[in-house]
Amino acid sequence: MQWIAANFVTIIDGFAYGLLLFTLAVGLSLVFGMMDVLNLAHGTLYLIGAYAAHALSDGSWWSLGLAALVGTAAAGLGGALLSGLTLPLGNRGHLDQALLTLGISFIGAELLFEVFGSRIVNVPRPSGMTGSIAILGNPYPVYRLLFIAIAGALAVAVYVTLERSTLGALVRATVADRDMVRTMGVDTRKVLLGVFVAGAALAGIGGALGGPLLQPGPGVDERVLVLSLVVIVIGGLGSVRGALLGAILIGQVQSLGVALLPGMASFLLFGAMLLVLVLRPQGLIPAGAGRSDR
Amino acid sequence: MSNHRSNSSRRDFRRYAAGLLAGALFIAGCEGAALGGGAGDAPDDGPIDIGLLVPQSGTYASLGEDMQNAFEMYLDLNDGELGGREVNLVTADEGETADSGQAAAEQLVRDDEVLAVSGIVNSAVMNAVQDLIEDDGVPLVGSNASPTTLVDVEYIWRTSYVNDEPGLALGEYVADEIDGPVYLLAADYQAGYDEVEGFRETFEPAGGEVEDEVYTPFPDTTNFQPYLSQIANSDAEAVYVFYAGGAAIDFVQQYSDFGLADELPLYAPGFLTEGDVLDAQADSAEGMYTSMNYVADLDNEQNELFASEFQDAFDYAPTTYAAASYDAAHVLDLAIADVMDAGDDLTRDTLNAAIGELGEIDSPRGPWSFNDNGTPIQMWYLREVTATDDGFENATLQDLIQLGDH
Repeated sequence: MQWIAANFVTIIDGFAYGLLLFTLAVGLSLVFGMMDVLNLAHGTLYLIGAYAAHALSDGSWWSLGLAALVGTAAAGLGGALLSGLTLPLGNRGHLDQALLTLGISFIGAELLFEVFGSRIVNVPRPSGMTGSIAILGNPYPVYRLLFIAIAGALAVAVYVTLERSTLGALVRATVADRDMVRTMGVDTRKVLLGVFVAGAALAGIGGALGGPLLQPGPGVDERVLVLSLVVIVIGGLGSVRGALLGAILIGQVQSLGVALLPGMASFLLFGAMLLVLVLRPQGLIPAGAGRSDR
Repeated sequence: MSNHRSNSSRRDFRRYAAGLLAGALFIAGCEGAALGGGAGDAPDDGPIDIGLLVPQSGTYASLGEDMQNAFEMYLDLNDGELGGREVNLVTADEGETADSGQAAAEQLVRDDEVLAVSGIVNSAVMNAVQDLIEDDGVPLVGSNASPTTLVDVEYIWRTSYVNDEPGLALGEYVADEIDGPVYLLAADYQAGYDEVEGFRETFEPAGGEVEDEVYTPFPDTTNFQPYLSQIANSDAEAVYVFYAGGAAIDFVQQYSDFGLADELPLYAPGFLTEGDVLDAQADSAEGMYTSMNYVADLDNEQNELFASEFQDAFDYAPTTYAAASYDAAHVLDLAIADVMDAGDDLTRDTLNAAIGELGEIDSPRGPWSFNDNGTPIQMWYLREVTATDDGFENATLQDLIQLGDH
């Protein structure tokens, strides 16, 4: 009981980070798993959202809302652009896509560096959300609780849309058999574009709202990209549930794991990935079977 | 490699040819004029080339900007002259790795043939250029990087401090002030080990007790919550940390967010709240104690000029990085003037000898002098982050200890 009291806040914080990772990883996972496009510029989309929050948010609620809107829209636009650019490379394998998107991420990082400078910048939290409240006697920042609520709602919305709605069925059908869907009179390019834009927009809103947790600065794009890739490897490609499970797991490894084994901190992340790769190379919850032969 | 060599020799040839042409024109223009001697030797009048090697890109770019601003300001305040000689300042980008810094240093020393070099932020670059500087015998008045391992050097001077000194400065004070164990937390790289080791060296003999010593992965740690929760659950009565740059912003904000700022006093080498990071930390840094060899509010004549001019010119308070760079220009100014006054030829060697004989230097940080190792004997100050009308500043509380003379 005492152990739980001492570590409860750490577990909560693991969820905050896990959900932040989910908003990043789910887009990357869907685009890669469903559309077979490897997008290494995904971290740049997070930075766009976070920098939008830095530039627009002044501590008031409406400015945070505006920042979230602008950040989401800008990242979504970036997603549309990336979708268009990677389209001609559809049949040329992952290496070409990786080279293209990595190049784009370098250009994006340099542009953001020119505009926002070399410093890690602050993203203010809205008024009334700057303090802490006690959970089992340990103070915890209120904003992180709000973030858990919002990102949790986002995760549910993404899950319901993809797994339970007609639109989601269309997306999944496009992945399973593109030609059949096209035969039914649906423009599959629009479906693919939609998935790309939605995934990018999720990374953007993750950046805008998660900015106070993980502040934007040069190099942050690579860091979140690597974390997202680890989440996908653990969770399994192309599945919302996999991305969620992988993200929560990594969140806990990075918080509870570090708290219990501080000396092992640098090994835990990739140790967890190694363990999954050895025991379950396809990931914990991969997308439905039968897709790999497409 | 052979390709690289042939490229550079082709470049060398081209420059050589250009030099020959220029030389021919020069001789034709003013017959009988004496040509300059070997590398880095300045003609008796005319401008001298001084190299400034600071990061203009990468992680340390903002430090580089501070240092360049201060050096150029010193020149501006002295009509563009050092020791009465007009200065042509040659800047080069140190970058963020040892390789990029070494390449830029070679460019300055061998191609541009500067009389002296200043700058250098990264300790890895300092280690990498040590042989170049010593072999070529060019005075390097470094204004930041100063690893503890850099000893027995003839041409390398530093106007900053040795890396473990900010920790050394705090140890005894914290041992006296805190009644109970202290938790040590630092970034997992060389500077972190140096600052913790320095702290323990003065802390434990003074009766201080260490609760635990933990290193956090660098630069990957952005969430300090797990470590903070370990500290909160320990018996520690105070915390000593080393962080700088982005990690310092994250750490300080979270130390406040997770309620530790109200419970446990925090002590740190001054980098934690130095310069632009303090703007991002704002009120979360209030009440934190740090040690540094310079504070913008120090009350002396030199600092009155330096701090106010710097604030006016660049619209932010000068940092220890800026002060050290300003002092590097000051050191060169004094030493060049000494060579000129003695009527000697101004060469790399006469300049280096003059630096070694400077004695006490009046500086914005207070008077200091070089020790046998080429680093300053200077006073260290205890500072506290306090609120001002338009933000937050490091305010001087008291003198801590004089270091560098042991």
